[in-house]
Formats: sequence, structure tokens, C-alpha cells
Amino acid sequence: MSSTQIKVYRDLMGANAEWAGKTQSLLKEKSITMLNIIGSPGCGKTTLLENMAKPLRGKGIRMAVLEGDVETTHDAERLDALQVPVSQLLTGGSCHLEAKLVHHALIDLPVDELDIIFVENVGNLVCPAEFDIGEAAKIAVLSITEGEDKPVKYPLLFTEAKAVILTKVDLLPHLSFDIQSCLDYIHKVNPHVPIFQLSSIGGSGMEEWLNWVMGWRGDEKKDSSSS
Amino acid sequence: MHEFSLCQEIVTAVLSEMEKVGSPCRLIKTTVTAGKLRQIVPEYLTFAYETLTKDTIAEGSTLEVEVVPIVIKCLQCGWSGEVEGNYFFQCVECKSNKVEIMSGKELYLKNLEVEKDE
Repeated sequence: MSSTQIKVYRDLMGANAEWAGKTQSLLKEKSITMLNIIGSPGCGKTTLLENMAKPLRGKGIRMAVLEGDVETTHDAERLDALQVPVSQLLTGGSCHLEAKLVHHALIDLPVDELDIIFVENVGNLVCPAEFDIGEAAKIAVLSITEGEDKPVKYPLLFTEAKAVILTKVDLLPHLSFDIQSCLDYIHKVNPHVPIFQLSSIGGSGMEEWLNWVMGWRGDEKKDSSSS
Repeated sequence: MHEFSLCQEIVTAVLSEMEKVGSPCRLIKTTVTAGKLRQIVPEYLTFAYETLTKDTIAEGSTLEVEVVPIVIKCLQCGWSGEVEGNYFFQCVECKSNKVEIMSGKELYLKNLEVEKDE
């Protein structure tokens, strides 16, 4: 018996990256922007999407949602009620979405009739941040009922995010949440990231956030047309 | 528990590499390199590895996880060095947060130790 060492150096995110790449090419071809919305269970991701549907429609932007959950189609039903094309992804226990599953759900959407797709990831601040799904940007959602220091407790997501949304700010008068310290924590892990303080129900801050989304989409189009 | 999905990738990669070896051999140890920024808990990964290699030619082998430290380089003053496992990327020397991450994001299958019958 003799023991031999075999050097391999094989990328372990390779399969996921391959599917993410396929998704990216499809989105580029169809000129669709895809944003990956990540936050804890109950932070207001679905409510945010519900309240974006109408104003985006008003701006002539056609949106769809890929809804990721461990179980149930409740969230998809909420969005379907607003005539938003939605595809439900059930992970059946897995705590995050992976690129292959997203790609298959994506091709079920009417991609010729869309401008923007929001992927509502599984409610979780840890694992979804690890997996690229072919998105243009990850967006971190944090509600002010969760605690100021979540950005430093779950830093990967807040480091990777291209924008951070603080939701439920209408509850501020009822909470001891220190918003400035939360903003400082976010900027500590991601110094220049834009932060939107909004209330999906009350509507405050929504316009600024939508403008950012439109601007981001515009920049992306410019990038792809120049290349 | 993203360790489980990740481990599926590891086992798939290991089995396909073992096929390439061809001649009859037994896998002793798999070594995976993971940057500290990958948020991997080695114990979860080794547990998943044990489960996922059952009834394969890799059954009974062990998984070693080599953790790579986070090294940053300051774009302001040029300082480079290891920083702790938090995300406050700031230059140790000049306190600038304009830094580049040099290592800590790695994630690859590095080595297989096999025993060949002679």
C-alpha cells in the first residue's frame, strides 16, 4: 500500500456559477434587470414588493417576482392578486435559493414582456448572501424591529449589498431603535452603500427607492449597450 | 446550513476526480480550502461529508478544511496584512477603509489523498 496525493484545485462554486451565468446571458438578451431581495423572515420583503407594483406600473415598468420560500404559496398569492407575474420557488427545507432553481423558474416567466424581476429570497440573513443567482445586485432588507446591530452580526449580506432598505420606519416612535447607530453599523461594513429608510404601508421613502431602482436599471442598460 | 449544498458540490467533485484516477485505489482524505469570509462552519461540513459519501467509493474518507485568513491591502498607504474575521475592513496603519481584499474568499477542492494497491 502506498499513499498518493492528488492535487486538484477545483472551484466548488463552479456549478452554481454556471447556472448564474446562463441566467445572466438570458437577462442581458431580454434587457431585464434582476434584483435579489434578501432579509429576515418578517422584515417586510413581500409587503415592499406589493407596494412597488403599482408605482412601477405607473412608470411603465413591467415587473415580475420570483418568490422563494421553504413552504407554502402564500406570498405568491399576495402578488398574484396584484396582477404581478409571479413564479413560486419552494426549497422544501433549504435555507437559500441556488442559481439552477432560479434559472428554471425564470424561464417560466413571460421574459419577453418584462423589464425588471425581483427575486424574493428565502427569509434568512446568512446563506442567501453566499449564493449568486445571476442577479444584477443583492439588496439587503432590514426592518427596524430587528435591532440596530444586525449589519455587523450578519456582515456578509450587508457587505455584498448594492443598496440597503430599512423598512417599517413608521414604527420608529414606538420603538427604542437608534436609527443613527444602525446607519453607522451599515456603513462600517459597507462604507458607501445607499440606504433607503422607508415605510411600505405609509409610503414614505418609496419614491427615493424607486428612483434608485430606475437609475440602476438605466446604468445597466448603458453598460450593456456600450459593450 | 449552506454547508450541506456546498458539500454536495464537494462530493460530486471528489467522485469525478476519483474516476479520473482510474486504477483501483481507496480515498483516505479530501482537503478543501475555504476562505474565512465564506462563513463555513467546518464541523457542519465534515458532518455533511460523512452523510453524503455513504455508499460511494469515498465512504470512510475524512474531510479536512483548510481555512485561509483574510488579508487586505490598503489602497491609501499600501499596508498589507491579516485582519480578524470581522467585516470592518480598515487599514491597520492609516485607518482608511479604501482596502482591497487579497484573500479570504477562496473555496476550492485542493487535494485528494488516495491509497493504491501495489
